[in-house]
Amino acid sequence: MKLWYGLLVFALLISVALAVALGEAVTLAEVGRVFWYRITLGHATAPDAIADRIVWNLRLPRAVLALVVGGGLASVGAAMQTLVRNPLAEPYILGISSGATAGASLFYLGFLPPLLSKNLSMPLAAFAGGLCAITIVYSVAGGRGRLSVARLLLAGVAIAALMASITSFITLSSPEPDKLRAVLFWLLGSLHHATWTLLPWPTLATLLGLAVLLLMAQPLDAMLLGDEPAHNLGVRVEHIKRLLIVVAALVTGSIVAASGAIGFVGLIVPHAVRSITGVTHRRLLPACFIVGALFLLWADLAARLLLPGEQLPVGIVTALCGVPFFLALLRRSDYGFG
Amino acid sequence: MVPPNPVIMRLIVLFVLCFWAAGCGRGPDRSNQVTDDLGRTVYLSSVPTRVVTLAPSVTEIVFAAGAGSLIAGVTDADDFPPEVDNLPRFSALPVDFEVVLSLEPDLALASDQVNSPNDAATLEAVGVPVYFFSVSRLEDIARTIRDAGALLNTASAADQLADSLTRSLAQLRVLTEELEERPSTLFLISDVTLYAFGQGSYIHDMIALAGGSSITVDLESRSPVLTDEFVLFEQPEVILGAFGSGYLPTSLLEYHPTWDVVPAVTGGRVYGVPADRYLRPGPRLVTGAWEMARLLHPGLVPAQ
Repeated sequence: MKLWYGLLVFALLISVALAVALGEAVTLAEVGRVFWYRITLGHATAPDAIADRIVWNLRLPRAVLALVVGGGLASVGAAMQTLVRNPLAEPYILGISSGATAGASLFYLGFLPPLLSKNLSMPLAAFAGGLCAITIVYSVAGGRGRLSVARLLLAGVAIAALMASITSFITLSSPEPDKLRAVLFWLLGSLHHATWTLLPWPTLATLLGLAVLLLMAQPLDAMLLGDEPAHNLGVRVEHIKRLLIVVAALVTGSIVAASGAIGFVGLIVPHAVRSITGVTHRRLLPACFIVGALFLLWADLAARLLLPGEQLPVGIVTALCGVPFFLALLRRSDYGFG
Repeated sequence: MVPPNPVIMRLIVLFVLCFWAAGCGRGPDRSNQVTDDLGRTVYLSSVPTRVVTLAPSVTEIVFAAGAGSLIAGVTDADDFPPEVDNLPRFSALPVDFEVVLSLEPDLALASDQVNSPNDAATLEAVGVPVYFFSVSRLEDIARTIRDAGALLNTASAADQLADSLTRSLAQLRVLTEELEERPSTLFLISDVTLYAFGQGSYIHDMIALAGGSSITVDLESRSPVLTDEFVLFEQPEVILGAFGSGYLPTSLLEYHPTWDVVPAVTGGRVYGVPADRYLRPGPRLVTGAWEMARLLHPGLVPAQ
């Protein structure tokens, strides 16, 4: 297991290096100079100003955002699947992402007042939207004291559809065509907004979420057995569930605000990882984080290199490579859940 | 078995009769057919007397062709020429078919940039033929005006205006043709998300004619969204944006902070221009080309 983690972390470092170095605009030597200059805190010879902007201010924050978003979505996806004990769960299916998108577009198109700076208000609006959606879903599903998985999924699908139509409505009723175009592009899921000033909040929220999930690793393992066995093992099931939902809304909301709605990472990665690590959360969650981060980093690199000079929303790439892989995984007869 | 409800039966018969009657309606009269810019065959029963224009650029083309008096209605987005203020309006995105039909047009004119062939099919199914204009080069402007004149029976007025536009472009060409220094130019449609024109757009003709060289002319997509990195790499000397003439160049830097080293920014050559003269493929593109030339080569090009 240690070897696996070592390999994953190594792959992560290599991938970040590649993501920063690949692209026609800057030579490898120039990339090296930029990093040396930045590592020595400006004591080395100054690199070309343009190379510096491209490598340090555009590519590196974008790679870091890919890690945060991919890792966050994948680990939250794994936890959601445990919450509902159903392999279909992920932030999208339970309506969190759609709620977050609706909240963020309300803010973006100026229907909500900017209380704080834009980098904070948008995640807050997204968090509120996501929390609102999952609370409705959860209260519908948990009507008679116990959470019904079937009702949870159905309510999730319904709320997701409702939130999506709210988003469409606000988007279409926006009076400013320029903002409308921006929102339409952002809705497709893209990492191109990444800047150093955008990064702190989603990074903090995601790492906080991961830490809370890891602290709950043992109760989560118990919950895989079912509510009653978990309760008998001394797990305060309802508390854990509520905490999980808040964490999921917080992480997903922050991520959606930063990158729009990027699908499939939260669904596919936990499945792939579980077939290697098994279901124990202490191992599953960190591995999900790293693999999700890797997956999105590569997807974004592909999106960048496929159409040089242009933005290709990374959500398209994650769906294009994710779905066939997922279907192949499903066909494997020995795959099981929980 | 329940006996059939007589009311429902009557309704069904009525429905069938209606559709049968509709089927018996006018079929296309093949006496007068024309081919539009998309290669579609358009059947006209006679010379049109009431036309609706489904995009603002098309309205401008029709007015330029001297056939403005035939227009029976324009879209919500129309604002030029001033005569459109007195015309009935309809929503064009999506097309409000009921309002369009209530204007009783005998021809609808469309732009392939804005309108979809599906909307055209719906209109044609209810008996309104649709003719598409397509502008992908700057010289298409004069051609579409001539075509509109031929279609609407105002050929001499249309030809006259088309000639004067062509002459104006030729005058500009004489001024800029021999220029050695052709600043590399980026034309942006929007500033936060970097929508621009890719290959196959008239905007590159305008930039070339204005004495610049467009940096997005070879991009594969027709309407690409640029990366910040692309702009840093291409180092445009001039950035023109369809953001209106009151645009503050500093806002561009606010959205794209890494561009502080782009020559257009350091040299103070970021200009907001009125969108309609560049984004609407109609006669006012010629004004736009002159305006662009004055921005790219101050002093060289006299006021028109």
